[in-house]
Amino acid sequence: MDKAMRGYRQIPVYLRYLINILLLAALLALGNHLIVSGAVNRAQKAIILQIGIYALLAVSLNVATGYLGQLPLGHAGFMAVGGYAAAILWKSLPKNTGAMLLGLLLGGLVAAVFGVLIGVPALRLRGDYLAIITLGFGEIIRVLIINLPGITGGTPGLMSIPKHATFPVVYITVIVSCALIHTLMKSRHGRAILAIRENEIAAEASGVNTTFYKVLAFTVSAFFAGVAGALYAGYTGILTPGNFTFMTSINILVMVVLGGLGSMAGSIIAAGILTALPLALQSFNKYRMVIYALLLIVVMIFKPSGLLGRYDFSLTRILEKAVNGRLFPKRGKAGEDHA
Amino acid sequence: MLFLSQCINGLQLGSIYALVALGYSMVYGIIRLLNFAHGDVIMIGAYIALLTIGAGIHPALAVAVTILGCMLVSVLIEKVAYRPLRSAPRISLLITAIGVSLLLQNLVQLLFTANTRPYPSTAIIPAKALNLGGLSLSLNTLMTILISLGAMVGLHLLIQKTRMGKAMRAVSEDTGAAQLMGIDINRVISITFAIGSALAGVGSVLFCCRYPVVNPTMGSLLGLKAFVAAVLGGIGSIPGAMVGGFAIGFAEVLVTALGFSAWTDAVVFAILILVLLVKPAGLLGKGVAEKV
Amino acid sequence: MPKRPVNSNMVPLDGLGIIPERDAGSPPILDIRHLCVDFGGLRAVDDFTLLIGKTEIAGLIGPNGAGKTTVFNLLTNVYKPTQGRILLNGQDTRGKSMHELNRLGIARTFQNIRLFSGMTVEDNVKVGMSHGYTDGVLADMFRLPGWWRTERKQHVRALELLDLFSLTDKADVLAGNLPYGDQRRLEIVRALASEPKLLLLDEPAAGMNPSETHELMDNIRMLRDRFSIAIMLIEHDMNLVMGICEGIAVLNYGRIIAKGTPKEIQRNPVVIEAYLGEEASHA
Repeated sequence: MDKAMRGYRQIPVYLRYLINILLLAALLALGNHLIVSGAVNRAQKAIILQIGIYALLAVSLNVATGYLGQLPLGHAGFMAVGGYAAAILWKSLPKNTGAMLLGLLLGGLVAAVFGVLIGVPALRLRGDYLAIITLGFGEIIRVLIINLPGITGGTPGLMSIPKHATFPVVYITVIVSCALIHTLMKSRHGRAILAIRENEIAAEASGVNTTFYKVLAFTVSAFFAGVAGALYAGYTGILTPGNFTFMTSINILVMVVLGGLGSMAGSIIAAGILTALPLALQSFNKYRMVIYALLLIVVMIFKPSGLLGRYDFSLTRILEKAVNGRLFPKRGKAGEDHA
Repeated sequence: MLFLSQCINGLQLGSIYALVALGYSMVYGIIRLLNFAHGDVIMIGAYIALLTIGAGIHPALAVAVTILGCMLVSVLIEKVAYRPLRSAPRISLLITAIGVSLLLQNLVQLLFTANTRPYPSTAIIPAKALNLGGLSLSLNTLMTILISLGAMVGLHLLIQKTRMGKAMRAVSEDTGAAQLMGIDINRVISITFAIGSALAGVGSVLFCCRYPVVNPTMGSLLGLKAFVAAVLGGIGSIPGAMVGGFAIGFAEVLVTALGFSAWTDAVVFAILILVLLVKPAGLLGKGVAEKV
Repeated sequence: MPKRPVNSNMVPLDGLGIIPERDAGSPPILDIRHLCVDFGGLRAVDDFTLLIGKTEIAGLIGPNGAGKTTVFNLLTNVYKPTQGRILLNGQDTRGKSMHELNRLGIARTFQNIRLFSGMTVEDNVKVGMSHGYTDGVLADMFRLPGWWRTERKQHVRALELLDLFSLTDKADVLAGNLPYGDQRRLEIVRALASEPKLLLLDEPAAGMNPSETHELMDNIRMLRDRFSIAIMLIEHDMNLVMGICEGIAVLNYGRIIAKGTPKEIQRNPVVIEAYLGEEASHA
């Protein structure tokens, strides 16, 4: 029986889109106003932009870990390739909107190409091996960056990158990226990816081309990591290979694990907390890695799916529940428990 | 002559890698976990040796304490971090192992700073050289090879000839069945970790006698190379770990001898990628098929 | 009294087996010749030859460990045969991937339930709908009309299929939260979603009580009649097997020891001995 038939009042589709878009636009306007008017100082603005970039990094990694169920350990590599590609392009173009868009797209595409190159061989392997091999590739990318100074500026890196990444740019890029990942997961392709995570053999036997979808998820993950890398380049204006180490990948992994493997909202919230907190609590910097390590272990032992688990945040779904009086489900209702 | 001495060099390095690789293979064989923290246990062993010898304790005793310390740390890690996740999905276990590795490295860094410290290798093995028919062999090298071989023979006897060894083999074949046969799998797993890390402890001493420097991240590279050795030989296979260890040791010495010492790490990694792409089960390994 | 199948006169084919008379006009949906598979030194399946008619309900029975699930795994290319040939609807299955075979028309359930536990019942069924939809990845990301069409079609079809087994009420429940019987039925629905020509059911009645088993028998017959498909099942419940199967093959130690109609199998002394072992010969 359809939800509609059961007497459940649903918010019509066009209204759902309208609510979401209005809300996001309002947040954009608010943020922009705060920054332009100076209510938010430079340090705070820096934190906000960084939160945006890391949120995108976490959400993109989540596609390969939370949704696909793998453990790639070389995410910083994709961030690096995307960042360098965009930076090189931006340095050779005048600073305008067209160049900005082109750079972001290029960053994503270059990273996606690497995603396919690494994914096709790596995804044939069992989970533990995939982790190691992606770690290896991440390191190889870093070594390549260091040893191709003609293109990448080597160890000292690239400077004077035009700073395309303003608040509106970062905000819109992150929102659009998250939206695209969301729509992907809500399609039959997304279901195929989730099915692989749940039970790969059953998925394959049910007609899912697991090789294609594993590479697809991996490549999408890489693409948006590349876009995030481009944003990073356009925000700091400087890129060095030291920005993209194994520790960077681990930092992003901690965000995903903490936020919830499979929850986009979780990744964003965790990225926010784990980016803002260290900057706000400078004195704890010494203990940061120890705390992260402990968090990883403790979360895995007590809540392996992460703090928010697979929670799929939907504002309109919450509104629907409120409208139907189901926001706080009563216990003991007949037929609600399957025990 | 040069070739022979390089061979012996390779043998020495290889035996160290083999000792460490054994720990990886044993743990993987029994609970299907790539113990990321294994290399860091070696690092902890190095610091233990550093502290005990620094405190004036007799080197022989210090070595014993080092080995015991490694065993203790490893068994503790298994009990606290891995055991609760015995039935959790593999990705959770891997993440925890990464967490443990990070924890060990950063705790040590907090306590001892990231500075590199010298290791009292000469206190453990004096810097003497022996002359065997024109070939100059350092005591260090000789002892490394002999001790490693001895340890490996001992391990082989343990696995094949004792009841505990049989239990270990049973648990790695089929944990469920072993449990039904009355084997206490927790005990077997703990003992596997203990033995694996005891070997790592020995490896730690021998490694630091060859490269007498200690810092919090020294375990990662050694651990990674030993891991490559384990995979090359076939992870889960004890003879495979030994074969893989010697292979990697020889490869590294060869690359250095050819003058590309800056590339040794890259070569080892390349070997890993090659093995995983061509024959993931490794030289002596058997792929474990999933029951459908 | 179990109902007799509709017109299940069995006629011989090629001297290799029997198929229902009504299917004699078309080639068999499954044509297996001399199938063998070795694991290490052990020959798990040996010289397995079987023909199944286009709308036949066939049974594969035998003692535990006889190799029945291994045969299913060979048919779906989980294992590669050492020898022999399998024709699915006239096409050789050799070298094809599991999902390609699904596209060619074979779907299965598993001995140990393999559902997508973290996904809803409806989504489980939708994953089974693997072909006939042309909306591409990018088109879906940008929610072009193709996405809306596909979602609508898949939603409607999923509910239709779930209705066959009275699971529509539970469409939004997580598959892992379903009671055992519902999980088994959901696996069948998911297999049906891929519009197979041959449905393989691995112990569908496992863990069911007699009334559930009876309902299952009706359902299996209903599926065959409604969708005109062939169904092959592995089962230990003899009431079910003898009640709905038209042709039965008996497997022991990897070899077929008897093939025939339920009546013939029940009277076959070799079969009786295989199941009851020494006791029968001392009876």
